Amino acid sequence: MSVKPEGFEPLIVAFCCNWCSYAGADLAGTSRMAYPTNVRIIRVPCSSRVNPSFIIRAFQRGADAVLVAGCHPGDCHYHSGNFFTRRRFTVLKQMLEYMGIEPERFQVRWISGSEGAKFASVMNNITAEVKSLGPNRKLRDAR
Amino acid sequence: MMGQSEKLQKIAAEALEQGQVTMVLGWCKKDFWWQAPVAFITDPASAARLVWDPFTVYNPVKYLLDNHHCHEKIGVFVKGCDSRAVNRLLQDRRLEREKVVLFGVPCDGKTDAAKIKAAFPGRKISAVSRVDEKLLVDTDSGTETLPAAGYLLDKCQTCRHPNPVVYDVLAWEKVEPRPGVDDARFVRVAAVEQKELEERYAYWLRQFDRCLRCFACRNVCAACNCRTCIFDQAEPRWIGKASDLADTLNYQIIRAFHVAGRCFECGECERVCPADIPLQELNRKLIKDINEYFGEYEAGLDPNDKPPLGTYRGEDPAGFDES
Amino acid sequence: MKRIGVFLCWCGSNIAATVDIEETMAAARKMPGVVYVDHNKYTCSEIGQAMIREAIAAHRLDRVVIGSCSPRMHENTFRKTVEAAGLNPFYLEIANIREQCSWVHKDKLTATEKAISLIRTAVAKAARSEPLFSTEMSIERRALVIGGGIAGIQAALDIADAGFEVDLVEKEPSIGGRMAQLDKTFPTLDCSACILTPKMVDVAQHGNINLITYSEVEKVEGFVGNFTVTIRNRARSVDMEKCTGCGDCYAKCPSKVDSEFEMGLAKRRAIYTPFPQAVPNKPAIDRANCRYFTSGKCKVCQKVCPAGAIDYEQQDQLVEKKYGAIVVATGFDTHKLDNYGEYAYGKHPDVITSLEFERLVNASGPTGGKILRPSNGQPPKNVAFIQCVGSRDKAKGNPYCAKICCMYTAKHAILLSEKVPGANAFVFYIDVRTPGKDYEEFYNRAYEECGATYIRGNVSKVFPDGDKLVVRSVDALSGALVELVVDMVVLATSVDARADARELAQKLSITTNAYNFFNEAHPKLRPVETQTAGVFLAGACQGPKDIPDTVAQASAAAVKVVSLLNKESLLSNPTVAEVDIKLCSGDMSCLAVCPYGAIAEKFIEERHGREIRKRRVAEVNTALCQGCGACTVACRPGAINLKGFTNEQILAEVDAICL
Repeated sequence: MSVKPEGFEPLIVAFCCNWCSYAGADLAGTSRMAYPTNVRIIRVPCSSRVNPSFIIRAFQRGADAVLVAGCHPGDCHYHSGNFFTRRRFTVLKQMLEYMGIEPERFQVRWISGSEGAKFASVMNNITAEVKSLGPNRKLRDAR
Repeated sequence: MMGQSEKLQKIAAEALEQGQVTMVLGWCKKDFWWQAPVAFITDPASAARLVWDPFTVYNPVKYLLDNHHCHEKIGVFVKGCDSRAVNRLLQDRRLEREKVVLFGVPCDGKTDAAKIKAAFPGRKISAVSRVDEKLLVDTDSGTETLPAAGYLLDKCQTCRHPNPVVYDVLAWEKVEPRPGVDDARFVRVAAVEQKELEERYAYWLRQFDRCLRCFACRNVCAACNCRTCIFDQAEPRWIGKASDLADTLNYQIIRAFHVAGRCFECGECERVCPADIPLQELNRKLIKDINEYFGEYEAGLDPNDKPPLGTYRGEDPAGFDES
Repeated sequence: MKRIGVFLCWCGSNIAATVDIEETMAAARKMPGVVYVDHNKYTCSEIGQAMIREAIAAHRLDRVVIGSCSPRMHENTFRKTVEAAGLNPFYLEIANIREQCSWVHKDKLTATEKAISLIRTAVAKAARSEPLFSTEMSIERRALVIGGGIAGIQAALDIADAGFEVDLVEKEPSIGGRMAQLDKTFPTLDCSACILTPKMVDVAQHGNINLITYSEVEKVEGFVGNFTVTIRNRARSVDMEKCTGCGDCYAKCPSKVDSEFEMGLAKRRAIYTPFPQAVPNKPAIDRANCRYFTSGKCKVCQKVCPAGAIDYEQQDQLVEKKYGAIVVATGFDTHKLDNYGEYAYGKHPDVITSLEFERLVNASGPTGGKILRPSNGQPPKNVAFIQCVGSRDKAKGNPYCAKICCMYTAKHAILLSEKVPGANAFVFYIDVRTPGKDYEEFYNRAYEECGATYIRGNVSKVFPDGDKLVVRSVDALSGALVELVVDMVVLATSVDARADARELAQKLSITTNAYNFFNEAHPKLRPVETQTAGVFLAGACQGPKDIPDTVAQASAAAVKVVSLLNKESLLSNPTVAEVDIKLCSGDMSCLAVCPYGAIAEKFIEERHGREIRKRRVAEVNTALCQGCGACTVACRPGAINLKGFTNEQILAEVDAICL
């Protein structure tokens, strides 16, 4: 039986679009590309389904970082969804940084269904970044 | 020469007499010298209640949401900012243009009563009037004269559209925007941007820690015109009802996001906030970013344009790592 | 309270070796709403599925969570399983504990912890799942093909051969399109007319094809399976029933105008058929140029017509028809050369476009197939061919490659050597691009057997010198300045989208790229579909392409149409957006972001005291909605929700993850 490593293990909530990024995560799995267990994926049909309220809620409930991942612009299964994603989260991300949230805490990435390796490396990077930042206390419920 | 209040009274009385409208929204005087609340005038005789004075800051336009069903046509006096609220409601399809007659009132800025009070500590003020760029303050120890420009509401100091952008009738000649408003527009945003990350969080925490969640900022906002606000819903419960700072931050972030690309910078949210939270610093940050990323856009000027978050270009830049 | 069953799959050792099944089961038992937990070595096997069905019955389960492989793998399998047990198929949720857990993590302790979290999240979502249903929609089993070029002809024939009725709408008086203008076709040098005209005749004679020429699509309403299309039948001024196609009218018509078909190299009459093999071979009056319509006097055609078919009183007619599917095959325009003054096109008659050259080579063309200089009627000795005119030119033309020019220029060089013995072809090129079966060999033939000289270089100027033309360029391979004296210059003009493509795209709710070519639904995997279900693309309207590619795409589009029309009915996607009209403010933010035109406004009536008020709300057309959910975020009050991925469900998932 292995022993749980000491130290801070961040919780990362990832919203992945069904057609690209979720498929990319599956490909990382079928290719046995290891990455840390810190990430939890919520499957959405399209990155344009991700409401900023979901992200703030995740921080409130204790997520140390939130990732939104979608198809590359121009490759959206629904043609234009990720173009709206790009505008919405460009605005939200700048606002969160302006309010003092570390840029690493909220990330948006384009990961295609063929980019299993990219999915794994994004997970590795975000986990490492957030580990070095430490637990998130900002935007978090007091309870 | 007819005074400005008389001009508004005449416009309202005529419109009511001729049956052009069945109600006029303007401003009247009530209990205190520093208030000029919105007046709902339905008969020509009452038009004499209407005033135009240094404190007619209130936006009558949002009251149309409650009243436009009951009237064939409503006349509304609109300052520059109020007229952009009309465009906001038109674009949001909450109002039909033919339901209103817009009486445009070019506005040279409204006066901040608090600044006047601060100028005369210990003295009782009975009335304040304005003549061109001078304020005449009647106090218990005589009438004093102040330069109007020094006692403007903060929001009026950065007003880019003092003249109505949409109107049917204009009460008097248009005025020039105050010099330097363009430079002043993002000064406060830039000041916050220049702070260090942790300092920014501490700054905003200090601000929002005062928030009572009274929702005055939302209720006064013409861009916040949903029939049922998301924050008033029970299922799903988007934010907690308890007084938790995290819920307050959630509310304030989402409120700002919901007016992103839609806020027309009237500054009423900040003015009405009982806790003096600098909400314009948040709203204008979004405007500044939208301008920088997706091209210059000013809300409330053309009800037929496309709000920036409701459209896109394939070649848009992103504010995150697109690699 | 829901009665949720949780089933964990070992997937042999794929999951069980990394995730502690016992511990996960123990954790699942404590989750809210979970009343039954079980496990199986292979849940997707018949035994595994039977276990689920039996447990649903035995424990009165009303929601099922399966911890297994990716839902992209077996979601449909398990939906059928729970459906077989009498539950709504959307009462199933899958926790992906293989691809996203056991296969990417090694440490059993943390992997088990994560698996428990994933199960908890799926349980939270399942507890809030609602029954979802597809609605059945009837299909109008007829197809519309827009455009009667080779793409439209092929698509119409294939659909008609499969037994479905097709309306083929063509803007011009005759079908045939661009291919009818060509002389020979690469890489085989078949005569274009010889292979095209039999197909045109097939169209005219096919019992399932209704040919609607001189007509345009005015309006498109409805959705897949149920389009209502308004077609404008332009007034032809000729009674198609009476006309026998004898041609007496256009022989006698006194009004002559430039023939579009001949690219202005010859005249046609005001009453005309575009070319002799026209289908239908019945003329139309071009009213803008007809003497009677412009001056009120003439009526020569009416006098000479033995059938009494001329009808000056005809009006445009709007006809409304129903279709289940639409193929768009509207072809291309050649690039306008206004920005290319340096090539002296329009200033010197011997500078011509490639399509004009096609007409010069064509036996039925203005010169009877003799290549002659337009200036003096003499055969040219030296001909310069300039490639990429308007193509691959970011500065003032199209940035894209027009794809067909390298090949047709090689063809032109070969035809020149055949038709004018001893003549020399000089081809100025940037790159020669010949991907395609037998294409490189064809190009080789142009310079190896037919003696064409290929010069790599951008031509900077073409200018007259006496009765000759001088072509100035740099030979990019040697760096030397080249000045070539020639008798004729042929410009390989680029391929543009049709000038009215954007307008048509709007009517069809499909999109175009930056250059107005229609967008396919997926650039690789759905090349003939559009993002509007039931609308398909064929040919150059989707992007520059040659005849073989066009025909292949047309047949592919036809197969898509046929497989659609073959269905008894259509089942709508159950995970669609849904409007809560209590919350809807009617500001239609949702409509602005919907890529499918699936949202419309409607007015509802509400009682307020004694009065009835009308109020605007959004309405989702479930036949068009594809379930992306972009609208749900645009909607500030959260009035529009996405079934299967509701706000309630996603918030519950977030909460469960962060527990």
